[in-house]
Amino acid sequence: MTVATEAPPPSGSGTATRPRAAGRRTGPSGGWREAAAHQLFLVPVAAVFIVLFVIPLGQTFYWSLTDFTGYSDDFAFVGLENYRTILSDPSMTAGLTFTLLFAVGTTVLTTVIAIPLAVALNQRLYGRNLARSLFFFPAIPSMAVLGLVWGYILSPLGSGVLNSVLDSTLGLGPVPWLSDSTLAKFSVIMVGVWGGAGWHAVLYLAYLQSIPHEYYEVATIDGASGRQRFFHITLPLLMPAMVISQFLLMTNGLKVFDLPYTLTNGGPGFATQTITQSIIVSGVGQGQYGIASALAVLFTIAVAALAFSQLLISRRIERRVL
Amino acid sequence: MTRRRPLLSVVVIGLACLVGMPLYYILVNTFKTQEEMVSSPLAPPTSFYLDNYLEVFDRIPLAQSFGNTLYVTVGAVVVQLLVGATAAYGMILRATLFNRIFGALLLLAFVVPGQATLIPLYRTLVDAELVDTLNGLIFMYAGGSIFCFFLIQGYIRTLPFEIIEAARIDGAGVFQIFWRIVLPLIRPILITVGIFQTMWVWNDFILPNVFISSPEKRTIVLEVYSAVGQFTTDWPAFMTLSVIVLVPMVVFFVLTQRHIISGLLAGGVKG
Repeated sequence: MTVATEAPPPSGSGTATRPRAAGRRTGPSGGWREAAAHQLFLVPVAAVFIVLFVIPLGQTFYWSLTDFTGYSDDFAFVGLENYRTILSDPSMTAGLTFTLLFAVGTTVLTTVIAIPLAVALNQRLYGRNLARSLFFFPAIPSMAVLGLVWGYILSPLGSGVLNSVLDSTLGLGPVPWLSDSTLAKFSVIMVGVWGGAGWHAVLYLAYLQSIPHEYYEVATIDGASGRQRFFHITLPLLMPAMVISQFLLMTNGLKVFDLPYTLTNGGPGFATQTITQSIIVSGVGQGQYGIASALAVLFTIAVAALAFSQLLISRRIERRVL
Repeated sequence: MTRRRPLLSVVVIGLACLVGMPLYYILVNTFKTQEEMVSSPLAPPTSFYLDNYLEVFDRIPLAQSFGNTLYVTVGAVVVQLLVGATAAYGMILRATLFNRIFGALLLLAFVVPGQATLIPLYRTLVDAELVDTLNGLIFMYAGGSIFCFFLIQGYIRTLPFEIIEAARIDGAGVFQIFWRIVLPLIRPILITVGIFQTMWVWNDFILPNVFISSPEKRTIVLEVYSAVGQFTTDWPAFMTLSVIVLVPMVVFFVLTQRHIISGLLAGGVKG
């Protein structure tokens, strides 16, 4: 034990809990045998990274420049031909635009709904826990199953639940929720917001509860109105939560597949087709590996660029506000 | 402190009921006949009618798909947590320049969407004869290890390193320390990360949809999706299937709610 207590000082760092200091120490005292054993701990994650990310990503990039079909090993290098094909194929560009629309639409709407909702759920209310649970509920089950259920609710036929309710209460004729291309886009986005708003409200709620109550008391004494308190205390202090929440909304929005696939199956036409669906259909379904890979490369670049620029922008806003 | 606000309460509860409407809708209709559902879709059921449940249990191999999902979820989450925990521990034991660069490279795995690697991995699984197998799914979900690694690493840094040092001096082997000391110490983060990963794997649709084709290997979400065609004209039966499928997740949520909220809060403290 005496050795153990004497050990920290030579490491050069003041605290023994600093991991980096501990890491350096194992070298000389443990010898190469122990160092090798320690390095072994990183082998599984390296294997996962190489097998599931690096190699397939390289293959995707390489295939995107070929006319590989998956059936024969005899394929040719076609340069950027696949990229040109994608950008001139209406079904592919439709997928690209709808995915962007979904990502931006759900990000904006969910944020606009979740922040006031979190503020309201932070007040003293009757039945507050029930309300919180109900709002959070849609985040629990699989989005694929919820998409199927909403398919029944929004069924464009007169027998669809929403349509029969509208018919019996307001006397409206059947609304083509999922069969009109504009309405279908709107419906998919609304269901997406329904599924995520409560989850993100709880995320904001967690941050709201960490704001010291004194801030509000002081502001009230100084004569700030409710609106002023919201815009000058609550909103700036929610900035870190907004960065996290919007980053998640944006990346998950771009990667969306389950919901449009089960709700509309990409229809009507290609109105609600997502990039992911195009990749799967052309790659796994039709064996057009070249096209699917080119689409995947474009998609990866788009996700990386958006994630990066979003982080940059939110950093800048954060610095200005705080 | 402040008084309860009745007006706001009414508005919030009203909105909450609107959000919960689809849940109410599918639940009440499981106790109705088809005629009753069409004539009054939103009314409470008039009798305790259980035929839908009997029919669904009879027609859909629920026990089998439930077992498949359980196998894949447990296997995938255990692999993810083990790989993530060993990596986080290894990174702290040997924080060499090489390893730190490697750690930064792992961040790339966050930016790369699963869709970008799907096609080549599909080929790999075909070659390895793992396509259309449950183990193949677990192999695919192992990619989630890297997410676990980052979360566990954040936690493991806060541990008192003296405990590990003391065990080392007492003669415990490297792997013994990991099993007997490190893993029990990081249990709280393993639980939190495990819950989020469980919800992801259990609810996932895209991987089973792409990789599973045999009916007897379907996961529960895929089973529901496949049953839609079968039940197009029998809506109450489909609603019943949805409710049965929701039950395990709701129970899981109720049991783990505390950890989910604290997990969100942990993110809050970090931000």
